[in-house]
Amino acid sequence: MSQPPEHQSARLWLSWLLVAALLGYGVTQTVITAAKLFTS
Amino acid sequence: MRLLSALDHQHTVAPPGYSRWLIPPAALSVHLCIGQAYATSVYKNSLIAHFDASQTAIGIIFSIAIVMLGLSAAVGGTWVEANGPRKAMFVSASFWASGFLVGALGIATGQLWLVYLGYGFLGGIGLGIGYISPVSTLIKWFPDRPGLATGLAIMGFGGGALVASPLSRQLLELYDSGYDSGVAGSVASSGALVGLFVTLGIGYFVIMMFGVVNVRVPPPGWRPAGFDPATVATKPLVTTANVSASNAIRTRSFWLLWVVLFCNVTAGIGILEQASPMIQDFFRDGGTSSVTVAAAGGFVGLLSLFNMAGRFAWSSTSDLIGRKPIYMLYLGVGMVLYALLAAVGHAATALFVLLAGVILSFYGGGFATVPAYLRDLFGTFQVGAIHGRLLTAWSAAGIAGPLIINGFLDAQGKPGTLTATAYRPALFTMVGVLAIGFIANLLIRPVPDRFHEPAAGPPPQTVTAEGTPTR
Repeated sequence: MSQPPEHQSARLWLSWLLVAALLGYGVTQTVITAAKLFTS
Repeated sequence: MRLLSALDHQHTVAPPGYSRWLIPPAALSVHLCIGQAYATSVYKNSLIAHFDASQTAIGIIFSIAIVMLGLSAAVGGTWVEANGPRKAMFVSASFWASGFLVGALGIATGQLWLVYLGYGFLGGIGLGIGYISPVSTLIKWFPDRPGLATGLAIMGFGGGALVASPLSRQLLELYDSGYDSGVAGSVASSGALVGLFVTLGIGYFVIMMFGVVNVRVPPPGWRPAGFDPATVATKPLVTTANVSASNAIRTRSFWLLWVVLFCNVTAGIGILEQASPMIQDFFRDGGTSSVTVAAAGGFVGLLSLFNMAGRFAWSSTSDLIGRKPIYMLYLGVGMVLYALLAAVGHAATALFVLLAGVILSFYGGGFATVPAYLRDLFGTFQVGAIHGRLLTAWSAAGIAGPLIINGFLDAQGKPGTLTATAYRPALFTMVGVLAIGFIANLLIRPVPDRFHEPAAGPPPQTVTAEGTPTR
């Protein structure tokens, strides 16, 4: 059942990448919207 | 059948060498999806136009979902503990996705009750089970930093709205070329709404499956390298004993913590629910506000960022300074900030945004820190089930917070004519609400020994070699 270290490493990267992509998209879009508070 | 048995608790025990850092992204992939619940306002006007229904009739969809969240978390908590996080996440994903698909059917056929049943009832069950599904597992993987671990996961619930709001706007514009989210009054077609619901349902199911595949429970007796449980046990209020969920709700500390969470959420929801009109009203002069509708939308986005960041930052800080002190900060400093908001919040936009932002970070922090507080008081044995029962405070606050704010504002005048002074009675009432929570937090004491599980026999928090819970 134990995974080779390289498989687990790839799994770790993929998991955190998915989360980072989702959060990064959300934060970027929100900052763009929030900028209107001080520019409009 | 083979697929279903893979979801069982005994097939979820981590093999030797399994990295515990795979668990937070597994939890986040669930919470980032169910956090969509905070982004329903994006398509609310389109639903109102499509069904030719009132604000209230459409608002009920969200209310059913939140009530079902509280109920399913409270009732399903023990089931989640017994069946493990993988099955719980799969059930959550199935309910959450089918909620969107049944909702899409309701929109396509013009049957509002199907949207109530789908997004509200089925989706709400997915919300509740999904919210509590990774909490107990994270606490067991991170006994040295439970606040950081649960803060990471519950941050995802706040972040879910940040993802879903712009994504929903962009999808609606993609499916309906005549829809412009930047134009007030623009509504999306029914076809676009159906497309949005189907896309979100399928997309969220796929993302949540990442969590299902990766989540594992630690093997019996596992602990992180270099971690000594004795160092944690020496901290105030932290127990090494275990209390069952049925015994926990018989303790005074559980109900005091219920009051703490209720007060913290009630105060935060008061601002969150009224955020957009509130900033316009605070800077209204002679009937016209200096804050535009678009800028008010930006303020709502900023509050979401503070809410999300507070969940991670404050919950992680609680590992260092302790749970009771951090809630004294949320509630005590929160009282000062609310009073400042009422007294001088209208002086400058930046000051208003800063005060409201920090208040919302405390709101998020309160949510994220409470699982670790429960672990400290009741142990790890059934902390997920106890957390589920405590979340009824959220449901109650979801009713109380808006009632307090709207009740005071209705007495002050009509929307669009209010100014900063109209908010003062409501904001000072929230100071009182926070004061009650502050006192309740001070009164929290260690759980008496008579509520502890017997120490004899195998430790309650471990599983047998076959993976079945020992109790």
